[in-house]
Amino acid sequence: MGSTATAYLTGFGRYLPGDPVDNDGIVARLGGDDAVTERIRRRILDANGIRTRHYALDEHGEPTELNEELAVKALRAALHDRGIDASDLRMLACATTMGDVLVPGFASMVHGRLGGGPMQLLTASGVCASSLAALDAAASKIRLGDHPRAAVVGSELASRSLRQRRFDGIRAGMDSHFLRWMLSDGAGAVVLEFQPHPTKPSLRLDWVRHVSLAHEHEVCMRAGMEGAEPVVGHTWQDVDLADAEASGMFVIRQDVSMLDDLADAGLEQFEELVDIGLVDVTHLDHVVCHYSTNVFRDLAFEGLRRRIPTLDTDRWYSNLETRGNTGSASIFIALEEAWHEGRFAPGETVLLAVPESGRFSFAFAHLTVVAPPEQQGAST
Amino acid sequence: MTDTTTAPTAGAAAPLADTGTLAERLAEVWIELEERLDRVPILQRLAEGTVTIHDYERLLFNLRQQVVDGSPWISRAASNFDIEHFTLRAAAIKHAEEEHRDYLMLERDYVAIGGSLDELRNGRKNLGSEALSGYMFHYADQPNPVGLLGAMFIIEGLGAKRAAGWAARFQEVLGLADNQVHFMQYHQEADGAHTGDLEAILTSGIIDDTAADEIVRCAQVVARLYALQLEELDR
Repeated sequence: MGSTATAYLTGFGRYLPGDPVDNDGIVARLGGDDAVTERIRRRILDANGIRTRHYALDEHGEPTELNEELAVKALRAALHDRGIDASDLRMLACATTMGDVLVPGFASMVHGRLGGGPMQLLTASGVCASSLAALDAAASKIRLGDHPRAAVVGSELASRSLRQRRFDGIRAGMDSHFLRWMLSDGAGAVVLEFQPHPTKPSLRLDWVRHVSLAHEHEVCMRAGMEGAEPVVGHTWQDVDLADAEASGMFVIRQDVSMLDDLADAGLEQFEELVDIGLVDVTHLDHVVCHYSTNVFRDLAFEGLRRRIPTLDTDRWYSNLETRGNTGSASIFIALEEAWHEGRFAPGETVLLAVPESGRFSFAFAHLTVVAPPEQQGAST
Repeated sequence: MTDTTTAPTAGAAAPLADTGTLAERLAEVWIELEERLDRVPILQRLAEGTVTIHDYERLLFNLRQQVVDGSPWISRAASNFDIEHFTLRAAAIKHAEEEHRDYLMLERDYVAIGGSLDELRNGRKNLGSEALSGYMFHYADQPNPVGLLGAMFIIEGLGAKRAAGWAARFQEVLGLADNQVHFMQYHQEADGAHTGDLEAILTSGIIDDTAADEIVRCAQVVARLYALQLEELDR
């Protein structure tokens, strides 16, 4: 025997704090108004193509919300979309790069604020792909029949560590500027169930695949250590905090010279999905792809189009330009918007693709749009 | 089909109009039960593939209220077998012990499909379950309630012959995981073993003609009341 259930995405929500901030509004929040920084920022913004984003910061750069609040608001939106309460959930899987506090785990804080009843928790910490790791874990428990309903949220509040005070007196090269003018805040959530939505279309989760290539790649994105290798006795937890700050350990950095390799590796992972049959390019209708900048949009789009000649921009979705790069939240924020815009029709398939630069991880999820049961007629 | 309402009541001097072996007579009761089950609405929907997750939830909810009484009535019957009926007493004690935790499996299935354990445990029996449970306890209170072997024949037979099929069909139609249909799946094996034990007793030579009549009568009543329990979901 060994029959499993099927996991369906039945509710979608997002929360983007405050009003959208255009490129001219960034300085008021993050600082960096000297001439050199100004020039770098313009260049990076031109390249990444982000026109508006959201920060959980007021116009003076002071925090307005906690990361856990962003997560809860996205979860509430997803629960509302599905028409259920937190008390209907039996599992909550939360993904974030950094929670608000060191201890306890992010999911504990989100559950505490969300309420509901007793439930299983998972905190998937990582970077962009951690949200699909959380999705995979929750979906596995649904498939096993252990839980009828779960919620998954990806949530980021990167802005507070992008403010000028982190950069004062620190030698900041492209490795930190690149992210500083790219990352922003937000949360996206989905509800997972073992049955499709009774009256509305759902997304059946066909599979999730999450592959790390850390065994053959150095660290690409980092904070909390000097250089790309952690050294015993020299991480942020070992040295004096003032020293850690002075040496720039609390600045989040990315080795931009590795990003071409990342794009190549991501395309190889996609090729492998096609090669082993998880993706049938003749039956792939939509791609929702996370990427950090439009430079990679063009690389990824052309790479996929080599295998899917019919892929056109109508079938390719990203809201990077208007919602910003919200790390682990991005893929759910994009999926939510694409879903509620009505881009997907029953029977169509959707591939979610999330490359993570951290130390080279790649997550994909394959979804199929299903009509509500009452419109499918009786099963046979 | 025999109209069971005109048959003599259990315990009365039954006219031995029925011919055939005990096994043949029980087989007739079984066939009649299967015909009746085919007309039970939820089982019809299950067969047609129009059954819903709500149907399955309500079925578990309704069954649970009666399943919790299973071991108690078997235990009560065990205590009413005198030493002359030691074999049956021993069988009943063993059976009660084996089944006394089964309702927990059903409860876990119910929770696994999204039901509330509190609501399940605060539920009450439907009209059919009331009748079935009442009859079982009443019968188990009699001295040497040998007729209960007929009840076993029906209840264990449903477990062994039908429950796993229902489980598989619910899984097929609703896409359920094994973890959500344990109770029904499990009964195929467990009750298969129990019906084997039952057959050994029925063919052991300890059943005389009077006992055989009692067994058949009890089987008829339990078959009717079990079907009633499935017909009267949530009533």
